[in-house]
Amino acid sequence: MSTGTGREAVGATTDEDERTGNPQPAPRRRARRARRGLPARLAAAVSVAGELLITAGLILGLFVVYSLWWTNVQADKEARKQSDAVRDRWAGGPGALDTKDGIGFLHVPDMKSGQILVKKGTDPKTLNDGVAGYYTKPVKSALPEDGKGNFSLAAHRDGHGAQFHNIDKLKDGDPIVFESKDKWYIYKVYAKLAETSKYNVDVLDEVPKESGRKKPGSYITLTTCTPVYTSTYRYIVWGELDRIEKVDNQRTPPKELR
Amino acid sequence: MYGWIWRHLPGNTWLKALLSLALVVGFVFLLFQYVFPWAEPLLPFNDVTVNEGMGAGSVSGPTGVAR
Repeated sequence: MSTGTGREAVGATTDEDERTGNPQPAPRRRARRARRGLPARLAAAVSVAGELLITAGLILGLFVVYSLWWTNVQADKEARKQSDAVRDRWAGGPGALDTKDGIGFLHVPDMKSGQILVKKGTDPKTLNDGVAGYYTKPVKSALPEDGKGNFSLAAHRDGHGAQFHNIDKLKDGDPIVFESKDKWYIYKVYAKLAETSKYNVDVLDEVPKESGRKKPGSYITLTTCTPVYTSTYRYIVWGELDRIEKVDNQRTPPKELR
Repeated sequence: MYGWIWRHLPGNTWLKALLSLALVVGFVFLLFQYVFPWAEPLLPFNDVTVNEGMGAGSVSGPTGVAR
């Protein structure tokens, strides 16, 4: 504290000199600084180090704000824009399958995240827009209209829209509805892995054996990170196709969403 | 450090305060716009996909981002 006052006093003098237009010769200033001696200089160095540490702490705090709030603000805005674009394309009624700008919407009532746009790919650039992406690698995802296979999706748990934040609320039997332009695909949750290695790519297999299923079928796999706020492990939820409904002209949602 | 900046800002106390505020806002903007988006993929908080990792020869780029 005493250093602060000392330095301000020095500063005041300098200001005074500048204001009166008295160009103080540099050597004199240096000489005065030298007279302050070692303890004062040490104190100044400690004070600068302290200020740098405080600054570092503030920056880390701001990073948390950025991760948990700002990325959501941005992603929600972007997701809304992209979803609206797809809704506009679909405005003419069910019609033929249309997968441009996104293949459809995921509705998981028990996750309470509203409609989630589904796009191709799971690279950060895609997912950071607050959408869910279907895997193209390491195991290529099947698409719902393919009939058989595993429709595998990833989305953020925190930040960037946090669309799968409440994935841990899903229980067996809960509906996962995928809406394409012309069909509602209603899946039911039947298995989960609350914690698995991030290298466990087998969960994306056409027949995900760890879920307990051995025969080919129409599966859906949701992957995200766990525990919340970190990505040490992955959280996996599997669902199985229950039925398919045709989209009508009013886009009446299936009873699971009503 | 901050004392040094304060002393080198021009004008009276009010102008200094205003300029300080502008500097802080500019600094935060730079962090949110450029620094944090750059740093985020380097930190292990937000990888949501399963992947084969570095060993399996997956192309994950120099940063090791999970794809």
